[in-house]
Amino acid sequence: MVQYRLPMLPPSDEVDWGASVNGNAVSTRLESNAILLDVLRDSLGILGTKRGCDMGTCGCCSVLVDGSPRLSCLMLAQEANGCEITTVEGLSDGHHLHPIQQTFTECGGSQCGFCTPGFLVVISALLGENPEPSEGEIKSAIEGNLCRCTGYQQIVDSVKEASNILCNGANVDDSTDPKSDPHPGFSG
Amino acid sequence: MKMPPFQLHSPKSLEEAFSIADELSSSNREFDWVAGGTDLLPNYKWHLNVKPDVISLAGVSELTLLTDTHIGAMVRLHDLAESENTHSLVSAAAESVASTLIRRSATVGGNLCLDTRCFWFNQTEDWRESIDWCHKCDCGTDADCRVIPNQNTLCVATYQADLAPSLMCLGATIHLASKDGERSMPMGDFFQLDGMTRNVLQEGEIVTHVTLPDDVSEWHGDYQKLRQRESWDFPEAGVAVAWKKTGGDVSDLRVATTGLESIPGYHEEESRLVLDDWRGEESVDLLSESVRKSVKPVLNTWFPPSYRRKMVKVLTRRACSGLLEDSK
Amino acid sequence: MWMTPQIPRVIRIQDFRGEKLGEEDSDEMVGYRQQPGKLPFSKPGSGGKNQFSEPRDESSIPESQGGSKAQPWGDHRHDEIVSGRVIGKPTALVDSRWKVTGQAQYGDDIRLPGELVGRIIRSPHHYARVLSIDASKALDLPGVLAVATGQDATSAFGVLPVTKDEHAMAQDKVRHVGDLVACVAAVDEASAREACRLIEVEYEVLDSIHDMRDGLEDSDLPIHDRGKYHIGESNVQKRVFQEFGNVEDMRDSMASHSSDWLFAGANHGFTEPHAVVAHWDPSGRLTLYTPQQVPHYLHRALADVLEVPMHQINVYRTFVGGGFGGKSDPFPHEMCAAILARKTGKPVRINFDREEVFWVNRGRHPSRIGMSIHSDSEGRISGIETDALIDGGAFASFGHVTTYYNGVLHTAPYEIGGFHYTGARVWTNKPASGAMRGHGAVNSRCAVEVGLDDICEQLNVDPIDFRLANLLPPHSSTITGFRVTSIGMRECLEKVREASGWDEKFRKMPLGRGIGVGCGFFISGSGLPIHWDPNKFPHATVHLKIDMDGGVTIHTGAADIGQGSDTVVAQSVAEVLGLPLDMIRVRSRETDTSPVDLGSYSSRVTFMNANAAISAAMEIRAELIKATSEITGAPEKKLVIGDRRIFRKDDPAVGVSYLEALHKSQEDRGALVSSGSYRTPPMGRVHKGAAAGLAPAYSFSAYVAEVEVDVETGQTKVLKVWAAHDCGKALNPLSVEGQIIGSCHMGMGQVLSEEMRYGRTGHLINPDLLDYKIPTVHEMPQVFPIIVESNDPEGPFGAKEAGEGPLLPILPAVVNAVYDATGVRVSELPISPDRLYKAIEKKCRKDGVSSPTEMKTPRISHSELQEKIVERGKSHSERDIERRRGKEPSPYHNGALFGLDPEVPGDEQDSRWTAVVTPSEEYLESPGLAGSAWKHVERRKRGDSQ
Ligand SMILES: Cc1cc2nc3c(=O)[nH]c(=O)nc-3n(C[C@H](O)[C@H](O)[C@H](O)COP(=O)(O)OP(=O)(O)OC[C@H]3O[C@@H](n4cnc5c(N)ncnc54)[C@H](O)[C@@H]3O)c2cc1C
Ligand code: SF4
Ligand code: FES
Ligand code: FES
Repeated sequence: MVQYRLPMLPPSDEVDWGASVNGNAVSTRLESNAILLDVLRDSLGILGTKRGCDMGTCGCCSVLVDGSPRLSCLMLAQEANGCEITTVEGLSDGHHLHPIQQTFTECGGSQCGFCTPGFLVVISALLGENPEPSEGEIKSAIEGNLCRCTGYQQIVDSVKEASNILCNGANVDDSTDPKSDPHPGFSG
Repeated sequence: MKMPPFQLHSPKSLEEAFSIADELSSSNREFDWVAGGTDLLPNYKWHLNVKPDVISLAGVSELTLLTDTHIGAMVRLHDLAESENTHSLVSAAAESVASTLIRRSATVGGNLCLDTRCFWFNQTEDWRESIDWCHKCDCGTDADCRVIPNQNTLCVATYQADLAPSLMCLGATIHLASKDGERSMPMGDFFQLDGMTRNVLQEGEIVTHVTLPDDVSEWHGDYQKLRQRESWDFPEAGVAVAWKKTGGDVSDLRVATTGLESIPGYHEEESRLVLDDWRGEESVDLLSESVRKSVKPVLNTWFPPSYRRKMVKVLTRRACSGLLEDSK
Repeated sequence: MWMTPQIPRVIRIQDFRGEKLGEEDSDEMVGYRQQPGKLPFSKPGSGGKNQFSEPRDESSIPESQGGSKAQPWGDHRHDEIVSGRVIGKPTALVDSRWKVTGQAQYGDDIRLPGELVGRIIRSPHHYARVLSIDASKALDLPGVLAVATGQDATSAFGVLPVTKDEHAMAQDKVRHVGDLVACVAAVDEASAREACRLIEVEYEVLDSIHDMRDGLEDSDLPIHDRGKYHIGESNVQKRVFQEFGNVEDMRDSMASHSSDWLFAGANHGFTEPHAVVAHWDPSGRLTLYTPQQVPHYLHRALADVLEVPMHQINVYRTFVGGGFGGKSDPFPHEMCAAILARKTGKPVRINFDREEVFWVNRGRHPSRIGMSIHSDSEGRISGIETDALIDGGAFASFGHVTTYYNGVLHTAPYEIGGFHYTGARVWTNKPASGAMRGHGAVNSRCAVEVGLDDICEQLNVDPIDFRLANLLPPHSSTITGFRVTSIGMRECLEKVREASGWDEKFRKMPLGRGIGVGCGFFISGSGLPIHWDPNKFPHATVHLKIDMDGGVTIHTGAADIGQGSDTVVAQSVAEVLGLPLDMIRVRSRETDTSPVDLGSYSSRVTFMNANAAISAAMEIRAELIKATSEITGAPEKKLVIGDRRIFRKDDPAVGVSYLEALHKSQEDRGALVSSGSYRTPPMGRVHKGAAAGLAPAYSFSAYVAEVEVDVETGQTKVLKVWAAHDCGKALNPLSVEGQIIGSCHMGMGQVLSEEMRYGRTGHLINPDLLDYKIPTVHEMPQVFPIIVESNDPEGPFGAKEAGEGPLLPILPAVVNAVYDATGVRVSELPISPDRLYKAIEKKCRKDGVSSPTEMKTPRISHSELQEKIVERGKSHSERDIERRRGKEPSPYHNGALFGLDPEVPGDEQDSRWTAVVTPSEEYLESPGLAGSAWKHVERRKRGDSQ
């Protein structure tokens, strides 16, 4: 049987590679045929981007490359050389969540959460281009993302809610703000 | 899913691309071109006919021009679908491809040159080993075709790309280039049987662009795609129809299909027959029936061939609905 | 970009500090022991921004406790502890911030220093003997550290103790393409894959079977050998026979439906492929990181296979990227990782390609179900006869239970005159089937509900009215003796009827548009734990720990797989203690720290674990109340807990803050800890198999689906679904709705497009997400979730399950709607366009029309019976309201509708009513398909062998 399969070694030659990942300049050496998703996860340890199928059929691996949503599992790392890459880790501003992150938690956009990074990245790009998308536009934007838990409905709700926040300029919390006091005063 | 090793070359210009190709050819190294990679990379991940070298066209800027009559090979389907310059028949076809995320990467050239598909073939290496391989990727075993057995000369894998039929109907010309020069031909002549040969491209040759004739804006048409789901799924059958009218009469009509055989079908004869004696709805029925008869799908995609064939008739009729409406 | 409140934030903190100081100076604490003469020390735990406790939310406090929350279903044992904090309010999942920031670690996100990559060598044959494995070339490859084979672990395991038929890797035979043969560990993925390539395995190929019907026959070499328990020489793994009620007379009916169903297998399709990391630490203990639904069973199986005691193993549940039943078996690859890690002395990570997910499968069984339903002239369901042959694939998995569930889970919600069930599960050379959302109930429920639609068509009555006239009342017993407590079925049906505009639409829409109804019934936790005597151990245990900071740490073993079990347990504790959710933290990951919980299956978690959590929290609550009583002098009975405050019910001004009460109770002993548990009450009858399907409570649901069928292409689009589900009490309505909508999505996939398709050579031809057709956002209908709250007497705050039951009705609702739209009754799922088109063509020929657009669609004109059943429905409705409000309703056994005494089981009062679990000679003369499994004699009962 052995002789019929393709050998996996020796590895491809290495090349220099650099990109700005979530605002941090990264430069490293990669095998020339490396896939962006593998680079993010296995070389750079950016594990927020998920691998659901590795074949373009789930959208869990979505990242923004120069602002445009792309499937990192079907992208040669070399094509992203020198680009700005944003993953789910790059969406929030410190401890302030991006509105879509916030509304995903509040509207049930995320159940098991495995598809969530992909959705968030794609939706953040949508809202960046179009802060007030119609239901049809929302659905078209997420047609390349698979979610097995939510049935998408609460995801669409989350986008509408986030669009609300964006259009009305409502605030999002800092998650490190002090929360409930276990010992609130009482006026007797 | 790590791919088998290969060297990726990233030329910045056509010239550089051709010279890399030339170099590889002269040292007898096989190679593939890669554009958006949404077809080649899944195939490579599954170890399908992996070559030791791959030349990426992503950095070649000459190939990205998009006007109303010129579509560069490296134009992304997302841009093609969104562009206001694109003929509506082409943008409709482009928009129906895969999913929005895939269309951000997918290119026109890659779509036209899409590898043929077959469920005995588009599988992992482990899986294909379990059926003792097949002719298209026999790994040196001389394996038979699993669809039409007892012949190991022909592959009947299905061409399932969406763009070709619409472009064919609009009378597009495809332009190829290699270090030896350029050539062009009507879109229909580009494709060549069988499922392994696919098209006329010679080693080292690429598709550079597609042009549409100047009268393209006078053509109207529709593309109908049969699939299970409205995202991701390849066409199980696709029918494009384009027509031209002079004074309320149908003066020209073209029909092309995809997803049914190893190359897209251009149904010149069928459309000519009805055009000669145009009788409105009746002609549409006749046309649909004759297109149905002319295609011979096999069992290697998601829907059974008998169903796909029957649907060709429905799709053709539906693609013509605009034609009839207009003439009312 | 969005607004970042950075600058105001800084200012706020300063303001706040100033305020705080002033306040502390002035605030003299009653009952707070100060050291005389010393500076007052600051109160630990303070520092929040909310200065005042919120007033009690009267609309959350039940009427019975003096609040204003209406209680149409009567009061509940937990009413007294409702503090009005979180229960019943839409609540974000407590772990959702990890998920939205990418910080949630799933199986493949656990990366340990020095880890190796493991890969599995899988069988290329359906069925073969492994003759030899030569790993020498692989081991010579630099970077390859270990190869393991079946010989490295010879103990069998399996999720059910009665059917342990799996091994870490093949012992002698491989049983399906993709079965595990060996595994390797190497420094990186490329080397691991190359090593797999270099391992040479020699096989002797055996005759495989693929058609489940062949599994019923004797075979030269059955896929497993169960020794003296083997059933004949066949591949029958489990068979069930049950006959209850008046089986004799049931076929003597006014209307009968009969159909032969074929259901394709379905896969869970969770987005996260399996992944596992194993690490033996320097002390020689194993930590296994894995996305598991059922860590405890894995814990046991690991101990068996690795031959080390359980206490030497820590199973660490990572975030789980979807389970749906597909991550609830102990898996061979988990064993492989542990074996490789032990051999190499390094952590080993194995993560699956999508194809491998399909190889381990455990999805819905491909099934052939023969369904007959009979109705008498009164419009009563005089009998249901089910014959279910289910294709188990190569291993037993949960199949023993599935075989029962295919029958026993449709003995409700209807009162029936007779029940005949024959079920058989066979081994075939396919990836193993197992438990999947709606375990065992989905397919046969679909057949029942579609059958009822047909019966109503024959009787010319409305299918919703028909159902309403045949429901079991609350607090009743099914024909096989399940104790059913709360039932919200009637409300579900009434609500979807109204919301969907049923009466204006049913049988009235044009060709291509249709509407259909379907119901569901599901267990809320299985009555018997799999592994032990429930009289000895509880099903779920929860520990609480509260220290000076006032935050509550919950230790639970319940596995959050995205359904929100961490949230529910946190909510339950927060509710009882009157705390905001952010003061609760859940630690549920490690078997080292969590008390044993049986896992996330059978829809048991909310019911059992929240009950355990409540009882743990009640212990703490009692302590707090006692302390408050000591401080304030108020009698304990008069004290209630509100928002971070404990006070007199009748004089809210008298009270102390939560933290003061807490510190008081901690004075002499430090942190408070408590433990609570839940076990099911004894219930059910005593026949063989009586425990299968027993549950402390059951959920009910009714859906109406509206579809559009393109009759020229056979393509079905579901437009709208009105989905009513009785979950007892929605502890977190956001999650309940999410479960309902998600269930619709999954069920819609199974009914319209998803199937594990096996080609002519027996190979699974779609082990990928391109051709395993999970609905995309475009296929998704608009779902209107309707929550019905029947306030289950035993459920935590009245809650029952909402995770699986909601899946059941969508299948029949869609199938019935397709009939309404086209007049085509399908009996094969999925209704892919090609299948439906074929049926449409057939109907055209039958109708004598040339085009599908000319087909006739069904219409209805009500018969006399209609009025009768409407009347009966109405009187039953009154009966039910009385029964659910009554304190101790009298017994009601299935059969009363047929004139029997409700207080006694039918078979104990009427000689025509039976209760048998073995087939008669007479039956065996012409058995049903699955029933023919009974023609074999178990080896031990045969004279000839062993
Ligand atoms: C999940 C999924 C769903 C899909 N669904 C559809 C679908 O519905 N319809 C559809 O049409 N396609 C579909 N595709 C296939 C593919 O995404 C598109 O066809 C896409 O347009 C291919 O373009 P590409 O640039 O990514 O091709 P690549 O993968 O880069 O190339 C494809 C082939 O074309 C060759 N090639 C590319 N460019 C040139 C050139 N300029 N000159 C010569 N040869 C060239 C390459 O060598 C390669 O053999 C799907 C793919 C996936 C993964
Ligand atoms: S058509 Fe035949 S040769 Fe071609 S890919 Fe399919 S099985 Fe292989
Ligand atoms: S992992 Fe990239 S699309 Fe699934
Ligand atoms: S939340 Fe689980 S897959 Fe989307």
